[in-house]
Amino acid sequence: MKGQKMLSTDFADWRRLGWLCLCAIALIVAPAVADDDNRAGYVLAPKAFRAAMGKVMPSVVTIETFGGIVARPKKGGRGQIRGISKPGEGPTTGVIVSPDGYIITSTYNFIRKPAIITVILDDGSQHVARLLGRDDTRKICLLKIDGVKDLPVPPAAPVDSLRVGQWSVSVGVGYGGDDPAMSVGIISARNRIFGKAVQTDANTSPANYGGPLIDIEGRVIGICVPLSPRSGQTAAGVEWYDSGIGFAVPLDGADRLIDQMKKGKVIVPGRIGVMPKAVKGGGVGINKVVENSPGAKAGIKANDVIIAVNGEKILDLMQLRSKLGRYVAGDTIKLTIKRGDKEMEVEVTLSKGTDVPAPKRPTPPGKKIPVPKKK
Amino acid sequence: MMLTRPIQLTIVLCLALSTAVQAERKDNPFAEAIDAAQDRCVRLYGAGIGREKGYASGIIVSPSGHIITAQGIYLSGARLRVAMRDGRIYEAKVERRSESLQVALLKIDAKTPKYFELSKKAVVTKGDWVMSVSNAFKVADRGEALSVNLGVITMRAQLDARHRTQDVDYDGDVLMFDAITSNPGASGGAVVTADGKLAGMIGKLIASTSTNTRLNYAVPADQLRKFMDGEEPKKVQPKVAEGDPFLGIRLFKLSGKRAPAYVDRVTSGSPAAKAGIRKDDLVLVLGSEVVRSVRDYDEAFKELHPGDEIEIVVRRKNTIVRLSVVVAKESDE
Repeated sequence: MKGQKMLSTDFADWRRLGWLCLCAIALIVAPAVADDDNRAGYVLAPKAFRAAMGKVMPSVVTIETFGGIVARPKKGGRGQIRGISKPGEGPTTGVIVSPDGYIITSTYNFIRKPAIITVILDDGSQHVARLLGRDDTRKICLLKIDGVKDLPVPPAAPVDSLRVGQWSVSVGVGYGGDDPAMSVGIISARNRIFGKAVQTDANTSPANYGGPLIDIEGRVIGICVPLSPRSGQTAAGVEWYDSGIGFAVPLDGADRLIDQMKKGKVIVPGRIGVMPKAVKGGGVGINKVVENSPGAKAGIKANDVIIAVNGEKILDLMQLRSKLGRYVAGDTIKLTIKRGDKEMEVEVTLSKGTDVPAPKRPTPPGKKIPVPKKK
Repeated sequence: MMLTRPIQLTIVLCLALSTAVQAERKDNPFAEAIDAAQDRCVRLYGAGIGREKGYASGIIVSPSGHIITAQGIYLSGARLRVAMRDGRIYEAKVERRSESLQVALLKIDAKTPKYFELSKKAVVTKGDWVMSVSNAFKVADRGEALSVNLGVITMRAQLDARHRTQDVDYDGDVLMFDAITSNPGASGGAVVTADGKLAGMIGKLIASTSTNTRLNYAVPADQLRKFMDGEEPKKVQPKVAEGDPFLGIRLFKLSGKRAPAYVDRVTSGSPAAKAGIRKDDLVLVLGSEVVRSVRDYDEAFKELHPGDEIEIVVRRKNTIVRLSVVVAKESDE
């Protein structure tokens, strides 16, 4: 009995030791392998960045503009135009979105209202381009070049597949030369600027506005544009260049916009046509309904309270503004309103304009933007 | 059976040690490169005037106390101090400067066994990881290591100083990257690769006049090496007068200098006429320069040399026409 127990203990100990040895080997080897994987992952990442960029490059075009209204600094006149809002005078970037020559880019590149726009394709051929419609809410616009076919259209990365933290690479030709610039970062947020843009910490700047933000497989996440949640002006958001906050308007789901821009339409923010007021207990009260406005046509009355947009609850004015920001003039939305104790739903087709002005008053058109004086 | 316990212990100990070492490596694939770079970079303190800051960064490039940094106001004061990673401070003298590279070579009276080798060849390509090591905003206090930012190489490009696209005298190649270094105090800092090689030195703060954005760039190590070896690129010398260029194009100038460069008249028998340029063509490219306006045309025209064969790209109605023209001498006609 005793001997047997001894034997069994012995055996158990040896077995335990055997397991321990195995575990030890596994533990020593496994992290080493994992380390190598980890290190290799980092070390090899640049190869993946280059491969992704290589895939999209045939669809990236160089845009040159000629003539226009914005002054350039005088000879040796450093600081003649202050700030960083001066639109690019150099080449800018665009992305082919159809084989027959439609090109998407940023409205930022045409602030000067150039008389002539040309597009240089990946094969080096240069074409005269026409500027078609634009989306002022997303700062994108459409160009068309004629006499081309079978141009390579890059695949779009599905917006639903995007994850915060995944690699993103911004590509642009704004520094000039034959060599496009690349910047690498991650996706910082999926729904920014009222759900219109993806946020990234890859550098976006006048050097790559209009260019693509791509994923590690070379699919287009979006078009790099300057955006600001506080202003809709064309150059608003440029001050955030290279700050770690950059935006791209997704190409996935943009077909509807592209179709409208093809027809030369200008997509602008939409409005209901009501003057809001604060109310207690959630929702946004109506102070006054503008005559003949979409709101008036839909039967909204003063003292109604908007409590939901397309089924999503509204708590205050800021939330209403953010929800409405997703829609543009021409969109039809469903509002849930409370009149007294009664709740009802009305359909409103938004017209041009904004209901809730941005907190800061934008510069009136035609007025010069004040130049900050040198301290 | 008695032996198993010490063996067990030994195994556990080995295990603990190896995982500890590996954990450090695993967490940070850049750790070694960063540590080595911080040993080889210094902080510089000199004179500052107004908005020009009196501090910068520097890179140790020899075992005998040689340090390179970017040109700046901080070099012109009476006293220039160099602070090492461990907090030691030395007085430095400027040995040499390079106008074309905007670089200066300093010397301190000390042995510096840890230094960067300057590669003769380009060290990085587009997309490679780089880390900038610098004292941006003077955040590193005495005895503290310099700040590190991670980025990738954006491109290697030539800064075109001649045409004032940048407000700087340097017209050599630069490495551009997406780590942000365009801040006071960063100039002179190191840009290193993931395996610890010096890719370049953060250059002095400049802005692109074409986009009005500040550039994050470095002077490549191979250019620095040339400077160290005394074979730096020469400044572009203006060519000896060889007569003014002549093309035979007169632009429509009534709309002002900023108007697009439309051809108003072509002198018959002139190089332009022979090449087939017509009235009402819009000049888009002259030689190697993009022409956006009459002013651009005038500037690009001045750069032409008689005898050169250049390309002129024009827009004629809705087509783009490329023409080859041999530049003549003004007095020829």
